[in-house]
Amino acid sequence: MSPIVTLDDVHTDIALRNGTAHPVSGVSLTVGKGESLGIVGESGCGKTMTALSIIRLLPPGGRVISGSITLGDTDLATVDEAGMRKLRGNRIGMIFQDPMTSLNPCMTIGDQVSETVLLHRDVTRAQARERAAEVLDLVGLPRAKERLDSYPHLLSGGMRQRVVIAMALACEPELLIADEPTTALDATIQKQILELIDELRDRLGMAVILVTHDLGVIAGYTDRVAVMYAGKIVETSSTQELFANPRHPYTEALFRALPENVDADRRLYAIPGLPPDLSDPPLGCRFAARCAYATEQCRAQEPALTGNGHPFACFHPLTTKQQATPNPHTPLAVAEETAPLLVVRNLVRTFPVTSNGVLQRKIGTVSAVADVSFTVHTGETFGLVGESGCGKSTIGRLLVAADTPTSGSITFDGTEISGKSHRALRRHRRDFQLMFQDPYASLDPRMRVRAILREPLAIQHRGSAVEQENAVAKLLDEVGLAGAALDKYPHEFSGGQRQRIGLARALALRPKLIVADEPVSALDVSVQAQILNLMRDLQREHQLTYVFISHDLSVVRYLSTTIGVMYLGKLVEIGPAEQVYTSPAHPYTQGLIDTIPLADPEREQRKDNAGVRGELPSAMNPPSGCRFRTRCPLATEKCAAEEPPMRQFSDQAHQAACHYPLQQIH
Amino acid sequence: MTAIPADDAVLSDSPKTRGVFAGPLSAFAENKLAVVGLGIVVAFILFCYVGPLVYHTDQVHIDLSQATLPPSGTHPLGTNEVGYDQLGRLMAGGQSSLEVGVAAALLATVFGTLWGAIAGYAGGFIDSAMMRIVDALLAVPALFLLLFLASIARPTIGLLILVIAFISWLGPARLVRGQALTLRTRDYVTSVRLMGGGPLRAILRHIAPNAIGTVVVNATFQVADAILLVATLSFLGLGIPPPAANWGDMLSNGINYTYDGYWWLIYPPGLAIVLVVVAFNLIGDALRDSFEVRLQKR
Amino acid sequence: MTGFITRRLLQSIVVVLLVTVIVFVLLHLLPGGPARAQLGPRATPPAIANFNHQMGYDRSVPVQYWHWLTQLVTGNLGFSVKFNQSVVSLIGERLPKTLVLTVLSTLFALVVAIPLGMVQAVKRNHAADYAITFWAFVFYATPPFFLGVVLIVVFSVYLPILPAEAPQSSSIGVILSQPAGLILPVLTLALVTIAQFSRYMRSSVIENLAEDYVRTARAKGAGERSVLIRHVLRNSLIPVATLLGLSLPTIFSGALITEAVFNFPGMGQLFWTAAQTQDYPIMLGITVLVGVATVIGSLLADLAYAVLDPRVRYA
Repeated sequence: MSPIVTLDDVHTDIALRNGTAHPVSGVSLTVGKGESLGIVGESGCGKTMTALSIIRLLPPGGRVISGSITLGDTDLATVDEAGMRKLRGNRIGMIFQDPMTSLNPCMTIGDQVSETVLLHRDVTRAQARERAAEVLDLVGLPRAKERLDSYPHLLSGGMRQRVVIAMALACEPELLIADEPTTALDATIQKQILELIDELRDRLGMAVILVTHDLGVIAGYTDRVAVMYAGKIVETSSTQELFANPRHPYTEALFRALPENVDADRRLYAIPGLPPDLSDPPLGCRFAARCAYATEQCRAQEPALTGNGHPFACFHPLTTKQQATPNPHTPLAVAEETAPLLVVRNLVRTFPVTSNGVLQRKIGTVSAVADVSFTVHTGETFGLVGESGCGKSTIGRLLVAADTPTSGSITFDGTEISGKSHRALRRHRRDFQLMFQDPYASLDPRMRVRAILREPLAIQHRGSAVEQENAVAKLLDEVGLAGAALDKYPHEFSGGQRQRIGLARALALRPKLIVADEPVSALDVSVQAQILNLMRDLQREHQLTYVFISHDLSVVRYLSTTIGVMYLGKLVEIGPAEQVYTSPAHPYTQGLIDTIPLADPEREQRKDNAGVRGELPSAMNPPSGCRFRTRCPLATEKCAAEEPPMRQFSDQAHQAACHYPLQQIH
Repeated sequence: MTAIPADDAVLSDSPKTRGVFAGPLSAFAENKLAVVGLGIVVAFILFCYVGPLVYHTDQVHIDLSQATLPPSGTHPLGTNEVGYDQLGRLMAGGQSSLEVGVAAALLATVFGTLWGAIAGYAGGFIDSAMMRIVDALLAVPALFLLLFLASIARPTIGLLILVIAFISWLGPARLVRGQALTLRTRDYVTSVRLMGGGPLRAILRHIAPNAIGTVVVNATFQVADAILLVATLSFLGLGIPPPAANWGDMLSNGINYTYDGYWWLIYPPGLAIVLVVVAFNLIGDALRDSFEVRLQKR
Repeated sequence: MTGFITRRLLQSIVVVLLVTVIVFVLLHLLPGGPARAQLGPRATPPAIANFNHQMGYDRSVPVQYWHWLTQLVTGNLGFSVKFNQSVVSLIGERLPKTLVLTVLSTLFALVVAIPLGMVQAVKRNHAADYAITFWAFVFYATPPFFLGVVLIVVFSVYLPILPAEAPQSSSIGVILSQPAGLILPVLTLALVTIAQFSRYMRSSVIENLAEDYVRTARAKGAGERSVLIRHVLRNSLIPVATLLGLSLPTIFSGALITEAVFNFPGMGQLFWTAAQTQDYPIMLGITVLVGVATVIGSLLADLAYAVLDPRVRYA
């Protein structure tokens, strides 16, 4: 199989305001026709820059300074900008991460897709339009011909990404580069898009480079994979081989940091420290500072890529014995029955939707949370999982009284908190706190850490100034940050460190309950592991109760004692974490489990289930009866007519709302 | 070498902690135009306030025998139509122009910021009502309003400052309201409520400091606009009457002598106005760039 | 979109009403009140009392306002003793000329500023950008009357190619047939607008060039020119349309000054003359008219915005 694209010792630099960064330092790889190569690594490793170097769309100040890039029999170094323009969209197609912003809001879809055709083929406008309709159909856009004249903002995220793919493929390129194409999409849509790319690769015989941080995606959709760290490739092999026999310590560390690979009673392996600064890289092996097996040789000399078939760059590659060592044990969150701390009954939250007219008439309501009930016991971790629009974040806000329910009750520690005024709640607020998702927006950029952490104490009048100072210093210590952090501003910290500060702030008032809304979703795998371990430790130390909200089922399974699965405002299944994960009762839960890509190629291959089909219905107009019926393979007329009640299964705590559950009813 | 090291959140190696304004200020300092602007403003302040201490002229008594003399050794910029030394008058006029400009800008900024912050944070009907008033006042062109008011009564400096501020507070109000609306939804503002804090704390401790960048930038533009406005008013015959000196007055007076060729009556004050207004605009522009860059950097 | 427009329309009506309130307040700020405004500063007390009674100014304030408002709506803006004409007819004479001036200069400003801003954005931080920025700052900082005078000196005195005074005539046809006389006033009024708009356009284009959809367009192989014109231009014009709506009061103020400098027989000059002679009915009438015109103008700008941005059109 002659390679379609070859990179040989490519170095890319970016000129910054003060200094130069070297995001790509000697990358070599090849991709053959019809082959899918994955480039995997965490943020800052240079994988995106490598992809942009191929298509030469580097940010201002970026240049490929050495090495060669060959496409077919064309040496791209000899091609000038005009020549590159002829290749882009024609022989090389590229799709990017965020479909919501990748399309021009002022141009119709038909025009945008036709543009690619008109740029590279000598055809009339009408012919280009026809081709656009053809290609949109190919990517699975329903009613493609009618959609040609509509604008992007009317489409959902998944549909927009299909349009982006259509634009990239309209001229049947030899190479498709996909940079995190599904990261911004829901799990169920993610699977659809990845399957689409796979299918098109087969059909058109393209070479595909899939850049991602998600090892599960790599496992399921790539033939070969290159692992990157700090601008270099540390290991390359076929996908199956990589997962079966990783050689580089970094690869191993990544695997051990994944919650899905770790039992709930073991710690995650958290790689200590941070990646090196790429404007001043270290001399020896770039991973040495964080490597468990590093020696003096590693720090002094840089290891080269060695080995045939499965090259790696390490002086002390892994042996099979080392791979078997499990992570250390950690006690689980309390398992026995304890008193209920949080009782939610028939919680409903609807949002009115007003028409654009002058009178602001109510034309509908969004049913964000529709009759949800559950109980959280002291000391446990309740995981709330679901995709976007399912209402989990809304519930999170209702639980900490950041919002008032339309009806239903929330009782915390015996006191009803829903519907109380701000003043009455003030005293209670110290008992439940929220940890936010976005580490960049949750801390006031103009306040130093000391002030940020003292604020809750100041508002609640806890202790004198001296006592507050001491408390704050202790908090920092508990979350693993150095005392010097007190005088710094948020922008001086990394994402993971900011989440630690957020956690410290939530802990400041010594609450009984912490609601964490997607706290690790924006973090890299290794940093995620650090934060999850930290949350575990703190829970044990302070007898905390968590409500952990996430779209990531593997993380939820790892951390939670009980899992609640939500879909379109309804709680469809609830039960002990292991049970729900290994033997789900509700078809949606099964579908979710199927769609989440696992970092295990063999299990991925064995998955024959199509996952969850179709698109999410509108929350303004949810389906009658069971809300999941429009996408459920088992749905019948009964499902449309009657809403299924919650029924119990073998374990009394395990319940699901389905007419045709996958388990035997108790 | 099989031990797995403990979790360790090592802090990034930043040498010394830099203040919140350190970033923008250093970006500002790098912007050459901004430094030029600042330099011009400082030079003019020295010229107008220190100058008269060094170079004495009589700006009160008329001496018609010395009227409209071209520049010479005794009068480097000549004299005007009633015998005042032009250079000295430029200094005195500068004091007045700068004072009125800065005072009006400060007043307008403070009032406008409060108005906008309250409207933005409160939202709903209050916001709507407050902003409709702003819209209505904006719809009436400032000049028309000023002319009207000035035709009733010849303004004193104090009144002039008040009136200009009355026109100018609308800009900051809109800007700050926009900022407040955006900032209101930020997580760190929400967290104040979750901790039990009230709206006052949220506005004063979180929204206002984060909106300061916009306010400061706008204030510098206000000064520039105020100086221009005073000049225009003088031209239209409704400035502060002599012997009080004012660049705008000097300029509009000088224009009457365009065809007589008394260029020293026209260009010095005109140039002074242009330079100072450009300088303030440069400063404001650079401040805006540096604040934006910092906020976007992650 | 009809919803958007209806909402803006109703908002505009509220604003117009507020404008009338403001003017009404101004009317009553006059020493002596509206009677003096109408009868002049030399009116005797009995004449004032009589006038007040006749016009209903001795009734309660809300009634007066209502009365005044109805007068406005029926087209009665008062009577100017000095010109011996009704305000409406005076305005009718002058308005078209001011419109010629403002419309021509605004169009000219847009035609120049939009491409200029784009050029600046593409060549940012290069010589061309700095040069244009420099001149933009200078023009923006120059008081319009000073600018007008300088232009006169350069083009009418040193290089006598253009007349210093605008065409004097009461009919539009005559004015338009002497374009040479219009050049300097239009240029004066336009230069300041160009300075402001090109800066705005520049930052709008720079912002849009950094957007994701531009990256997508480049990945399709679109050239820089194509990216600019087909993709960025339309998106960048959206904030400029809003700015245009907000700039109308400034443009009218500028028109007033320009007319004064060039002795252009438009509405601005009328206002200025009225201000100097304390002819209040004219001043008030014009203020109301300009206020309403501004509101209508900004409504039109919103309409343009809706046309440009499909997200608003098909929300």
